[in-house]
Amino acid sequence: MPGIRTRESWKLRVAAATATLAFCSVLVGCSGSGESTSAGGSVSLRYTWWGNPDRAARTQEAVELFEKKHPGIDVQTSFAGYEPYKQKLATQAAGGDAPDVMQLDYRMIDQYATGGVLLDLGEQESVLKTGEFEPGLLATGKVDGKLYAIPQGRGSETMVYDTTRWKAAGVELPKQGWTWTDWADAMRALAEKTGKPGGTDPGQSEDAFEVWLRGQGKSLYTEDKRLGFTADDLTRWWTFTDKLRREGAVSSAEQTTQLDGSVENTPLGRGTAFSEMNWDAPASGYLALVPDGVSLAPMPSNEDGTPGQYFKPSMFMGVAADTSHPKESAQLVDFMLNDREAAKIVGASRGIPVNESIRDEIATDLKDFDKTIYEYQAPFEGKLNAPPQAPPSGDSALQTTFQRDYDQVSYERLSPREAAENYVTEAKAELRS
Amino acid sequence: MTTTQIPTAVRTPDVDPPSKPRRRQREGAAWVFLSPWVLGAAVLTLLPMAVSLYLSFTDYDLFNPPQWVGLRNYTQMFTEDPRYWRSVVATLTYVVIAVPLQLGLALVVALALKNMRRGKGFYRSAFYAPSLLGTSMSIALVWRAIFNDGGTVDNLLGTGGWVNKPGWALFAVALLTVWQFGAPMVIFLAGLQQIPTELYEAASVDGASRWRQFLSITVPMLSPVIFFNLVLQTIQAFQVFTPAFAVSAGKGGPADSTLFYTLYLYDRGFVASHMGYASAMAWVLLLVIGAVTAVLFRTSRSWVFYASEGDR
Repeated sequence: MPGIRTRESWKLRVAAATATLAFCSVLVGCSGSGESTSAGGSVSLRYTWWGNPDRAARTQEAVELFEKKHPGIDVQTSFAGYEPYKQKLATQAAGGDAPDVMQLDYRMIDQYATGGVLLDLGEQESVLKTGEFEPGLLATGKVDGKLYAIPQGRGSETMVYDTTRWKAAGVELPKQGWTWTDWADAMRALAEKTGKPGGTDPGQSEDAFEVWLRGQGKSLYTEDKRLGFTADDLTRWWTFTDKLRREGAVSSAEQTTQLDGSVENTPLGRGTAFSEMNWDAPASGYLALVPDGVSLAPMPSNEDGTPGQYFKPSMFMGVAADTSHPKESAQLVDFMLNDREAAKIVGASRGIPVNESIRDEIATDLKDFDKTIYEYQAPFEGKLNAPPQAPPSGDSALQTTFQRDYDQVSYERLSPREAAENYVTEAKAELRS
Repeated sequence: MTTTQIPTAVRTPDVDPPSKPRRRQREGAAWVFLSPWVLGAAVLTLLPMAVSLYLSFTDYDLFNPPQWVGLRNYTQMFTEDPRYWRSVVATLTYVVIAVPLQLGLALVVALALKNMRRGKGFYRSAFYAPSLLGTSMSIALVWRAIFNDGGTVDNLLGTGGWVNKPGWALFAVALLTVWQFGAPMVIFLAGLQQIPTELYEAASVDGASRWRQFLSITVPMLSPVIFFNLVLQTIQAFQVFTPAFAVSAGKGGPADSTLFYTLYLYDRGFVASHMGYASAMAWVLLLVIGAVTAVLFRTSRSWVFYASEGDR
């Protein structure tokens, strides 16, 4: 029966075609998402970063200016809070789908660079100029001699406080050179006078612990990437904060556990405390939440006056090693860091610029909170100890571990000693490699 | 229970059975038609599983090539990691709280809806809606806001927020799951409607109370459906992730009280970059779920009643 025969082979052909189509779509679905599409001759870049809405508005404005100056390039931006950003980026990087241009943290560089995620920006020096950067800070973006990331801003730890309410409580304002004892006394005085904790419990913050530790001449990590402190040190720190929490001088466990890296979920942002330890750049986010404005106070020093805080590259920009548009990505990085107009728009929302000529140039133009940050940093010039080297890869996990172990203390499930020993054990395992 | 006899074949084929070469040709066509799914299963399921099994014996940080470490991930998990055991306890507690509550509520609502005459469609949709919405991140975030310190529940009950208390947070998350009882409810409804009304009529003639009828007719007749829902929801509960992730901002807090297994697995894999360890955890989870399901099937012999068995 020739008729049936033809029909069958026709069916087979349709089937084969369908299968091929389906298979293709499966493959495309797998591999296609990472590519930046170029439609109509224009290049599309993905640029991701973490931060608050204030930074978002300024970044968007700068990016729009970039697109105007480079008509062929379309930039898609996206941002998130630090914790979700960190996790999403790690997932994307592992899947070979890292965004073309990404904001990076000090803690990410070592891992991302050695893992082959980042492009060597030295190869892009025709479009990306680094001549005006402070050499010391620029070097923090180098791994094995190659420049994988460029510092975007300079920041320092600070204690942000609600100026009006602190004054209204009738407690003496923080001043240069105050010590941890002075700080604890201020927290207690605020709590006594108002019934509300003076500030966020700093026990959960690895950053605050680092400042405390550095004031005593120690560090989080040694030069050979081992732990720079002992369980005894951590026990003393946690005993100190645990006592303050029990007294109600700093925020309760219920309040502290809501911290997720965004200023909105801090006790200061929610109006349940007067102060908060944070980096100076993100502190601008409090302005939208604290109606009468905030001031920046230096971090407490050690009892002998040794300051623990330091200038740190607040964040970096890097380009994905497998981007389809290395040149255009480098152009975007160059624009964000070296363009004068962009610098004026971005201001100090990512820290005080690391590009020296831009820093001097915009210093006079800085407005509002940017000026506050600039003036906050000025007295420290030349007085702080050198920044630590970039933390080893295991640190990004340890930062979370630090919070979780302190959770056990603040919910009174473990003593400071037990939690500190847990932390040190885990840290040693994490840094093993 | 008699059902109308469905003819096994509407009409007998009036052609001869196909000869061998033609059958082979048809098989070929079948494989061509199946190929998208076969390939999908192989490429998207079996291959990743094989890779994951391999990774579970390695130390892999996502960026550098995996290093073979043998059973170290497994031994570390069972002997050196207190947080792992906390995640196991949190997950088991959750399964034991959430599954019976959810199934109980689903059954109660299904019973209430079964005999409803008016507005049945509306109520069914209304109770089913949370199941559609509930798996989304946004509802979980709303949940967090409601149960947070200063949230709606706090304002109404003055409890100071559930998601911030280690003893309560797990319950808040479980409540989110219990609230999504729509899917088992619809299945219960279908099952209830299969029970012949003659049984109830006969029972009431004999003077059996409603409670007696429920225990002696509804439960046994419904037992296959209960069993089906139990297995399904238990497997799902073991893999709970989204609500805890959203409610605890990804940390499994406070104080690890909602650190569910999958959340800790995610943390090890994507926060701490220990993909090998995470893969090992995933395989242990697979084996445990397999074992629990097997146990459920084993016990089902003593309590699940299939109507067809009565005919034998």
